[in-house]
Amino acid sequence: MGSSKNKPTRVKTETVGNNEQTKVNKPGQNKKRDSNKVWDFFCSVKLAVIIILVMAVACVLGTIILQGRSFDEYTARHGYGFATFIRITQLNNVFYSYWFSVLLVLLCANLICCTIRRWRNTFLQTGFVLTHLSLVLILLGGVIKFQMGVKGGVNVYEGKSVDYFLTQKIDSMGRLDYVKKSLPFSIALDDFILEKNEPKYQIVTYVKDKDKQKVIEANVGKRQRIPGSDYRVTITDYIPDAELRQEPVNESDKPDNPAIFVKLFGSESLLAEGWLLAQANNYHDEKKRDLRLEYLWLPSQQEFDNAVNTIQNVNAKITASIPELGFFQDYSLELNKTFKLSSSDYSLRILQYVLNYGDTRPISEQPANNPAVQVEIDGPDGVEMRWIFENFPEWDKMHPAKYENVKIACSDIANAHMTRNVIRIYHAPGENQKLVYIKDKQIVETIPWELDKRYSFANNEHQLIISSYFPSFDIKQEVVKKSDQIGTPAIRVRIDGPSGKKEDWLFADSKYATWYKDNNFAMIYEPTGESVKHFISNLRIVKNNQTVMEKSIKVNDPLKCDGYVIYQSSYDPEKGSYSGLQIVKDPGIPVVYSGFGALCFGVIFIFYVKPFLRKKQKKENEVMENEYN
Amino acid sequence: MSIINLALIVYVVASVSYIVREIWRSIPIKWISLGFLIVAFCLNLTLVLKRSIEAGHPPFSNLYESLIFYACCTAFVYIIFEFVYNFRVVGALASILAMLILLYATLQDDTIRPIMPALKSNWMLVHVVTYMLGYAAFGIAFVTSIIYLVTKPFSKKSSSDSKGIDSDKEILPRNFDKLSYKIVAFGFPFLTLGMVTGAVWAKKAWGDYWSWDPKETWSLITWLAYLVYLHTPLVLPKMKVSKSKMSVILSFWLLVSFGIVNFTFVGLNYLPSAEDSEHIYGAK
Ligand code: HEM
Repeated sequence: MGSSKNKPTRVKTETVGNNEQTKVNKPGQNKKRDSNKVWDFFCSVKLAVIIILVMAVACVLGTIILQGRSFDEYTARHGYGFATFIRITQLNNVFYSYWFSVLLVLLCANLICCTIRRWRNTFLQTGFVLTHLSLVLILLGGVIKFQMGVKGGVNVYEGKSVDYFLTQKIDSMGRLDYVKKSLPFSIALDDFILEKNEPKYQIVTYVKDKDKQKVIEANVGKRQRIPGSDYRVTITDYIPDAELRQEPVNESDKPDNPAIFVKLFGSESLLAEGWLLAQANNYHDEKKRDLRLEYLWLPSQQEFDNAVNTIQNVNAKITASIPELGFFQDYSLELNKTFKLSSSDYSLRILQYVLNYGDTRPISEQPANNPAVQVEIDGPDGVEMRWIFENFPEWDKMHPAKYENVKIACSDIANAHMTRNVIRIYHAPGENQKLVYIKDKQIVETIPWELDKRYSFANNEHQLIISSYFPSFDIKQEVVKKSDQIGTPAIRVRIDGPSGKKEDWLFADSKYATWYKDNNFAMIYEPTGESVKHFISNLRIVKNNQTVMEKSIKVNDPLKCDGYVIYQSSYDPEKGSYSGLQIVKDPGIPVVYSGFGALCFGVIFIFYVKPFLRKKQKKENEVMENEYN
Repeated sequence: MSIINLALIVYVVASVSYIVREIWRSIPIKWISLGFLIVAFCLNLTLVLKRSIEAGHPPFSNLYESLIFYACCTAFVYIIFEFVYNFRVVGALASILAMLILLYATLQDDTIRPIMPALKSNWMLVHVVTYMLGYAAFGIAFVTSIIYLVTKPFSKKSSSDSKGIDSDKEILPRNFDKLSYKIVAFGFPFLTLGMVTGAVWAKKAWGDYWSWDPKETWSLITWLAYLVYLHTPLVLPKMKVSKSKMSVILSFWLLVSFGIVNFTFVGLNYLPSAEDSEHIYGAK
């Protein structure tokens, strides 16, 4: 493209001895046309530049103003006045508006006219003609698509078939509407395959006082500095499929933490098995059978003897205190018995207890969520009734009471309720070990026990085996490799910081961060989010009950049939049970694609081939010229 | 030091040496500055290749990857131009441009994520590579336009500078308007190819070659901007605009157009329509 001044030179260089060429530049060759102002107008580059600029502005507007929304949404966003303006000027649908179409028609007219006017049958003109006409072809293809094409979608469930699809339509009020279109065949989805990527994991560090997160590398062995902080992190180990094994071990023969492993059977089947720890989890409730198993460790012979002969629960108790008198006393949880609070004027009676305050079910069915005891305090000013909550010891402090100086607390209420059947495993140093079976608050049986023997109670309804005894129970934690595949990956990290080093395992499935000692630095090892590798629909096209085509389609690989193209577009995000297909019919495609081809070839010709040929010619003709192209 | 930081530094070093070369013209410095830029380019290319090997896919699936590739293309296109044409000071700004793009990449999230199914296409590969080469050329044209506009008031009235574009003679900044035109002419076919292959890919992956998505619309705007640039020299002389005024107008237009390029590349998230887009980085 050159400035007009250069035209004569170019004609000379381009078309030495081409008669036709010279004719074009002679005025009056096409008298009628040349005199025609309209024709001139449609041929001018000026028009071209104006159209292109206006189109560009229209495109900008079409992305700044949201397209295809309802009138109400525009009113909400821009106010009624501007919304009306948008509707009248069709700025809500720029690319399909009348004025944009007019613009495209003008563009086409301009392209065709300028091509005709400049038509010279020379090789060097190839690029010019191709590019300009290619745009006409592309626009023509677009019109064909707009007039004759359809585009819609349909969801098909696995094993089902469809013979229609839905297209979207925006009505005059800007509302979205669906229109059903039938297909000349039916599409059966035989199989839908959803393949996910292998999950990837990342290590994220967090410095609290800087509020800064950073993803660090997962390379084992490299010491990494966390930018802007004093923390250094080294990944010391990695296991692709790790498991935290917790293994009970016995630390010594001294009964520091006595524990037994018990198996409980109901006639034949195993009901429960596990460790009972004297100092922590010393009982097991079998709610359905109204059975409770208790493990009671007694440190001395005397206590052992006392305990074995009572059915009193040793743990549940209430504590009464009168601080100003320096009075403090524990009481066992016995209902309706009156306790004198020592030297004071007060006495106390336990009226009832519950395991879950407010629960209307019988106590044997209540979970021990909110244990509470109701007491009656008798004093100089008469009787006060009070509820005491095990989990809220401050309750009576915060609620006005008659005898505020009397403080009452309770503990282990859950242990107080005695189920119908209780098996107590008593244990004391020196082979002192007895099983006591209590039914309906009566001791029915007392037998010495040994390891690995089976004991039965209540006509074989309950059976018990105590299979191990660890005097000093402890749990050893160990991270082990389950397999070589990626399962639950774990990394072992070493964090160095201001308070020394800390080492720990991070599991990818843990929701909790691992904090460094100073509570200012945390790390988490987490999956980067599941992602879909590909999704494939095995489709069959059926016409008159006959399969005419079969294909597995996926994104980027559609199926073509009878002018329709069926694309894989989505899937059921929850269960993956249906496949979302997009169905498109566009008879304009061959036209558009020829346009694309011509355009590509044309621009390459204009900007690469032509200058090259020119240069060669120039050299041949030894004509030097100074021009743009 | 990481490759990306090293590349950033060498780009700066290259830029400084180009400035030295501008002041103190000697043949050795010419090769030294070009050498630095080639080293920076190689580092950048290593970064791109390393990334695609680590990620297991061509490095265009997110903004970070596209940016490091864009920086690489900018250096590459400039180096080609320096071999074809003889100009000096452009290199200083071109390496700064590549450096800035790379610097912008360091601000992005560089986590490797699996690519979505629609991106697994050879059309996409051609699409991105051609687009990036086109964008890179427009970046160089942006630089030459700046130099033209800045030096214009100081350069004496054009004497006989018709030999200004001769490849074995040095091109003077006062002829950079013509140089810009040549560079755009180099880049425009790439832009067109990028757009066409993008359309073909969209047809394959989404069922429609054109759906007025904001990303598509803005790449059309970019294309139209450069189309205006290419046609204006045919119009203005007819409107009795002087040649030198026309050069100024066109150079300004190239600055605007490069702004549009970058908006299309990284700015679309700021559009209200971005949330509806299938193609904008980070919109979904
Ligand atoms: C890929 C797109 C395009 C390219 C590569 C292109 C290229 C060219 C070239 C090289 C010329 C100058 C021919 C010469 O001087 O020998 C030209 C002229 C022209 N172009 Fe384009 N063009 C393109 C698109 C358009 C469009 C979209 C229009 C507008 C409707 C247009 C309208 C014109 C007009 C009116 C002329 C002037 C013809 C004359 O001087 O008689 N072109 N174009």
